[in-house]
Amino acid sequence: MSFRRRLLSVFALTVLLSVAAVALIVSWATRRAFSRANEQRTTALAAQFRHEFSRRGEDIVQRIQAIAAGDTATRMALASASEPHDYGAYLGTAKALAESQQLDYLEFVDSQGVILSSAQWPGKFGYKESFPVSPAFPKDAFLKPEELPDGVALGLFAVRPVIAGDKPLYVIGGRTLDKNFLAGLDLPTGMRAMLYQNLGGDISPQRLIDAEGPVEHAEQILPVVQRMQKQPQETSALLHWSGNAADDEALHAFPLTGQDNQLLGILLVGSSRREYVELRRHIRSAALLGGGVGLVLAILFSGWAAGRVTRPVEQLAAAARDVTAGKWSTQVPVTSADELGELAESFNRMTRDLLDQKERLVQSERVAAWRELARRLAHELKNPLFPLQLTVENLVRARQRSPEQFDEVFRESSETLLTEIANLKGIIGRFSEFSKMPQPQIQPVQLNEIVQNVARLFQAQFRASEATAIGCRMELGTLDPIAADPELLHRALSNLVLNAMDAMPQGGTLTLRTRQESDRVFAEVADTGSGLTPEECERIFTPYYTSKAHGTGLGLAIVQSVVSDHGGRISVRSEPGQGTAFIIELPKTQAGQAH
Amino acid sequence: MRPFGLRWLAASSLLLVTVAGAATRPRYGGVLHVAVRVATLDPLEAGQPSGPAASNLLLLVYDTLVTLDDRGVPQPGLALSWQADASKQRWQFVLRRGVAFREGAPFTADLAAASLRAANPNWKVTSNGSAVVLQLDSPEPHLPAQLALARNAIVKRESGKILGTGPFVVTQWQAGKNLTLTARDDYWGGRPFVDSIEVELGKSFREQRMALDLKKSQLIELAPEQTRQVSDDHPVEASAPVELVALLFRRDPQSPVEAQLRHALALSIDRNTINRVLLQEAGEPSGSLLPNWMTGYDFLFPADADVARARQLRSEVLQPISWTLGYDANDPLTRILAERITLNARDAGLSMQLSNAPAVDLRVVRVPLESLDAHTALARVSAALGLSVKTSGDSPEDLYRAESAVLQSWRVVPLLHLRVAYGLGASVRNWNDKPDGSWDIPDLWLGADKP
Repeated sequence: MSFRRRLLSVFALTVLLSVAAVALIVSWATRRAFSRANEQRTTALAAQFRHEFSRRGEDIVQRIQAIAAGDTATRMALASASEPHDYGAYLGTAKALAESQQLDYLEFVDSQGVILSSAQWPGKFGYKESFPVSPAFPKDAFLKPEELPDGVALGLFAVRPVIAGDKPLYVIGGRTLDKNFLAGLDLPTGMRAMLYQNLGGDISPQRLIDAEGPVEHAEQILPVVQRMQKQPQETSALLHWSGNAADDEALHAFPLTGQDNQLLGILLVGSSRREYVELRRHIRSAALLGGGVGLVLAILFSGWAAGRVTRPVEQLAAAARDVTAGKWSTQVPVTSADELGELAESFNRMTRDLLDQKERLVQSERVAAWRELARRLAHELKNPLFPLQLTVENLVRARQRSPEQFDEVFRESSETLLTEIANLKGIIGRFSEFSKMPQPQIQPVQLNEIVQNVARLFQAQFRASEATAIGCRMELGTLDPIAADPELLHRALSNLVLNAMDAMPQGGTLTLRTRQESDRVFAEVADTGSGLTPEECERIFTPYYTSKAHGTGLGLAIVQSVVSDHGGRISVRSEPGQGTAFIIELPKTQAGQAH
Repeated sequence: MRPFGLRWLAASSLLLVTVAGAATRPRYGGVLHVAVRVATLDPLEAGQPSGPAASNLLLLVYDTLVTLDDRGVPQPGLALSWQADASKQRWQFVLRRGVAFREGAPFTADLAAASLRAANPNWKVTSNGSAVVLQLDSPEPHLPAQLALARNAIVKRESGKILGTGPFVVTQWQAGKNLTLTARDDYWGGRPFVDSIEVELGKSFREQRMALDLKKSQLIELAPEQTRQVSDDHPVEASAPVELVALLFRRDPQSPVEAQLRHALALSIDRNTINRVLLQEAGEPSGSLLPNWMTGYDFLFPADADVARARQLRSEVLQPISWTLGYDANDPLTRILAERITLNARDAGLSMQLSNAPAVDLRVVRVPLESLDAHTALARVSAALGLSVKTSGDSPEDLYRAESAVLQSWRVVPLLHLRVAYGLGASVRNWNDKPDGSWDIPDLWLGADKP
């Protein structure tokens, strides 16, 4: 992955993570705020319920008080002192008074607890009231289950005595705690109040009502009721009405107890989570949208920023490649004054220095080469010249001292002179040949064939002397054809074989080895001679360097030139006393040539 | 001074006699205002659940062949005489002559036969000159009493109208709202004293009471529990106990145990308290279908509560029992009776719950006795309750056996019989109390508000 892409990815990921983190934080804060608001609303609704409960209780107390203070109750109290009671006279009394006071329940009960008149159950006269009446009656309104002909209902009741004779008469009345009571509560949007009338041992969905009557799908709420029945204390639950989280409802339950702390009812406040879920979805959508837009912007910005940051780096990389390719004069533009600008300055300074050093090196190498050439030439030419000098001096001396023998000396000296002159011509010819290395004529070549031809050429010399015989061993691998000039390769390998023969004056083993690795082939010429020192190995390919007494120092230079012209390279592996191996590494194909 | 004093005394006496006579002497004219709950113009709809007032209104417009006197004895109506063969299966009624329907068409035997056939599809009714002949499949010794029922009134159905020969004709009719009846001058029994009757329909007992208090009505129905209160302010006329109140089970007992539980229920009910308190003495406790004044053997069916015995019977049955008791949601009386019966049943250990659902185990029912004839009344009551009753003869013993058989089936538990009571305006004169609560309006006239 490029630096630009990496930088771009880092930028984009940073933006994405930032947006996600912001969305999570906002979502968490929203949920917390919603929970707090929901809790406050529920608490407020429960407080409102208690307030309404208290207010209606006070209202009921006042109405019962008004009935108890009325003439009808007074007359009834006076009449109730006598037995038997004339129930018929009171039959419709409670009902009429209940209707006038807008009460659902009203009963007149004598001091023995016997019902004289009942509004909710007119036929119940003469029966005992379930609520124990006594002078120590509750002053405030209270919850009480009321038995009715068609079932049991939960009501808010108040009791007041009527003292008009020897025995008190009690007025017990109230109102049903039903859907109308719930309908009177001012509920915020998304909230609802339900009431479970806990009037039987078993749990029944019919007893769960809201402001519109029996609650639909009450079965799902009943577990909360059951929990409350086991432990009458405030509790809460989350109801899942469907697979859609927006339909979830947070439910808070509050116990409603009677005079003896008996659990008579359960107020359930449901709060829809739709608002919260939709808000959370909006936040998520906004986060996704923001994240998407941010990501696109981040990519664009990152691309721009990464380009701005990486362009100098890329220019430096390209310049470095140019330098590697030999363009020592490469320079990069300095576009900023920051670290990258300093880097570019350093690079330019480095290439300038390198160029200067290279020029100095070339010049010094050129001087050294000329010196070496001069030394070689002097050395090479001095050897033939010395016999020529002696021969000519011998001729002069023979002409002066023994003229009779001059002819004979002249003839011998002429032969010597011609031999040495031929030697000089040979030396000059080799130098000329090195200077005139031809361009390789590339064609498909089987390297093994070339190696075999070279070995065949030198077979006779290998066996020239029995004492110094050289054994030739061939280890040829299976090679693909390569693109090369067979003549030049033959000359290079021949030079290496000659060098190996020179390295084994006492005989030895010459190994010719070929192998193939992926797209390259290798040819190795190894001898078992005395080997080279590491210093010799380093300098051995330098033109005109030789370790031999009569070498020109051009053989390996020619070999290296041939190998280099084929896009390959040559290396030497040697240890003193262990022999030397030259390895030629060639590409199968030449640059620009297809397979 | 003396002669003047004598003359003044004579004049004063004459004036006093004249005024006194005017107060008691019949007077033609005036409009009688009536308020009732329901009314119908079709005799086939008479009886339950229309109630006695609806039948009384019908008999102002239509006549029957036979009428019953206060003792339940058949009297001539549109039929002057009748006779039956020995088997009591073939009856011939000789019709009154000179009777005409409202639009002037003469009353004939053909029309009478057609009217009876429409009311009784199972009867073979033919005309024979000026007589109507009924051929029945089984002996029917009390056929004249049946012909006195309002549903057997003679009508002439013509172009969607129902015409009658009664003392009044319908001059205005708005179903459910009001009805105006006008006296016929040519009525064969003589013109009624009042000129017309204006009937307000669809009025509850409470509204009727208000109408009476406001003098907007001069004749209203009274609920039993109203009788005591209304009688303090207005004249109240009540019939003999002619409306049965009973508990009717939905089905026959499925086992002797269930019959025993029903027996326990019957014993647990305190009918006397119900009558005294809830009905304000507007009825008579009874353990029989027919009232004692009609049969004389009511004492043979005990009506007193025996809670101890009821508990014993209940305790002998181990299986749990829970009944639902229904009532007529439009009738507060049945509701309050059901409430009390529920309490009484619980006293005996019987579980019972009130319900106004259509399907209940038993319900409180009210059935008017449509006839003063005991046999006919028993047949009509049994039919209204969906019970079958068979009488082998027309003697009181046969009647007792038939009724006893019905009661021993434990499908029905009689509670009491209610009187039919009416509140009258102060201007209503010459109201004749009828044991069955029927109206004798043709003989009624209107006087001043304060007599």
